[in-house]
Amino acid sequence: MTEPFLVVNDLHRSFNDYKAVNGVSFTINKGEIFGLLGPNGAGKTTTIRMLSTVLPPDRGDIVIGGYSVRNNTDSIRRLIGVCPQELALYADLSAFDNLMFFGRMEGLSSQEARAQAMSNLEFVGLTDRAKKGRVDKFSGGMKRRVNLAIALMGNPQLLFLDEPTVGIDPQSRNNIYETIEMLRDRGMTILYTTHYMEEADRLCNRIAIMDAGIIIALDTPYNLKSKLGPPEKVNLEDVFLNMTGRSLRD
Amino acid sequence: MISGKMMRILVVALMEVRSYLRDKADLAFSILLPVAIFALMYGAFSGQDQFNGTLHLVNEDKEGIYSTRLITQLESISSLTIDYLSPSDADAKLEKSDLLMVVSIPPDFSSKIISGQTAELIFKQRGNGGQEGQVVASIVRGVAGNIDRELVIQNEVKNNLADTDISREQIQIAVASFIEQEQIAPSVSVIDEVVGEDLNPVTSFLPGIMTMFVLFAVSLTAQALVAERKKGTLERLLTTRLSVGQLFTGKFLANTSRGMVQMIILLALAQIVFRIFTPLTFLQSLVIALVFTAAVSTIGLIIGSIARTEDQASWIAVFFTMFMSIVGGTFFAIPQGSVLETISKVSLNTYANNAFRTIIMRSGTIRDISFELLVIAGVIVVGMILSRVLFQAVLKGK
Repeated sequence: MTEPFLVVNDLHRSFNDYKAVNGVSFTINKGEIFGLLGPNGAGKTTTIRMLSTVLPPDRGDIVIGGYSVRNNTDSIRRLIGVCPQELALYADLSAFDNLMFFGRMEGLSSQEARAQAMSNLEFVGLTDRAKKGRVDKFSGGMKRRVNLAIALMGNPQLLFLDEPTVGIDPQSRNNIYETIEMLRDRGMTILYTTHYMEEADRLCNRIAIMDAGIIIALDTPYNLKSKLGPPEKVNLEDVFLNMTGRSLRD
Repeated sequence: MISGKMMRILVVALMEVRSYLRDKADLAFSILLPVAIFALMYGAFSGQDQFNGTLHLVNEDKEGIYSTRLITQLESISSLTIDYLSPSDADAKLEKSDLLMVVSIPPDFSSKIISGQTAELIFKQRGNGGQEGQVVASIVRGVAGNIDRELVIQNEVKNNLADTDISREQIQIAVASFIEQEQIAPSVSVIDEVVGEDLNPVTSFLPGIMTMFVLFAVSLTAQALVAERKKGTLERLLTTRLSVGQLFTGKFLANTSRGMVQMIILLALAQIVFRIFTPLTFLQSLVIALVFTAAVSTIGLIIGSIARTEDQASWIAVFFTMFMSIVGGTFFAIPQGSVLETISKVSLNTYANNAFRTIIMRSGTIRDISFELLVIAGVIVVGMILSRVLFQAVLKGK
């Protein structure tokens, strides 16, 4: 678990005069689930957009699997899968057709895409709904699972999960937790953002807390909780509020 | 063997086309609208290559020999339909402006002619009688003038032969025969010679209407792009191995294909309804349609790249469509040498319409419209580059 797979070094990104990310550095080891937490506007999504090659950094570097984002975008894209916060699905397509399309965009042949689509839908428990109906007729939880299954197309080695459980019922959320744990057991490296602290506590090996574009804490959940008191009596939300304050951010 | 890049472009294009085919309302709109436009054009333009008018006539000299003769001659004119009215009806309709021009034959029309007095035809009109009324009045004046000329000749001959025993009927027959001869082989004849452009309304306005219709697709392309960006699918696609260039090329191909289907429907209807193409000019028109549709597709992508919302995309596209159509001479001919002609050079439609007109009127071949095609092709190249650059700039928050 100590081989670094993602290295972020002094990352900066501004929009006009607003510094969204202001000197962020961290490393994610192979097979690790790394939590990136922070209040709204902390710079989490901007960081993920840079890590996933959509947004070029103003300064600093990102190295994934030995490739720098500065000059190896295509190589990096072969290694990553992105599950965005919003349900980025084609509403008028079936779950299977959504996966097929994104699989083809990942460079899979038609046959490979078909096989992976069925396998991933089975993995997220949607085999019976694979070709039945458009995804806009699915429940919120099912859409979230399709969103995750798409991110797995192309067998990525590094998965970015940006709030994958937002707005769904406890059963669907638990199903996604189990799926993520299975991915961890397979050795997949995951960067995870969430506003649910118990989720981060349950899933993440290490957690970075971001605020105002910088990382203000980075450690294991246990060590973070230890800073506030006995870890078994402190929850991660208390730690988070203690570090980021209680003022509203929106 | 198709390369991975090309395969991704084709899959994006196919996805776009499938999405378009799945939306039944969109599909119906695309296919039925050209048919509806042609129904309107047929109603507006068919038979307009010659004048057809209605003469609103009040005849109070019902049994009169000369009123009968005048009406017989008017009825023989194919472009004139006679609507007979009573004096009171005519006055009421003129009063309400339902009619602008009525010709009235007074009760003493024939008796005055027979007695050698001047008979009068009365033209009652509101204002200047309207455009149609003026043309109808001039036709009636022409027929009345012919009758008058015949009577003048008869009287002249009769006066000159007053001392002979030649009867009045013999003179009438001889004069009628002379006039008939004159009509067959007139001393002065008129030759119609068309100079410059054919002002046939179909060939003048059909290209403009077709290009305007294709421009409507700008709005659909732009809105679809904005919707995808808002939904997050575009950004997600850009985390796969698909590049912005491949994404835009795929969308460009799909939108061009959709526009071409509409253009083929429009051109086929133009041929069925107006019979304006030969097989060669039809093929040449397809080439113009392809280049123009491709250029329109890139403009849709540019608007979609810069618009923040679907409404914004829609309004920019509507403004662009109307400006290009008006300045491009869709609704009226652009006067040569005018300021408008200079402005019209910024409109893509100007070049497409000129190219279509040249081919439809058979006043040139594809080689003669190479300048127009080059300008439109230039828009495709610039549009593809610009749309990509703008899309990336907006994506990066600049």
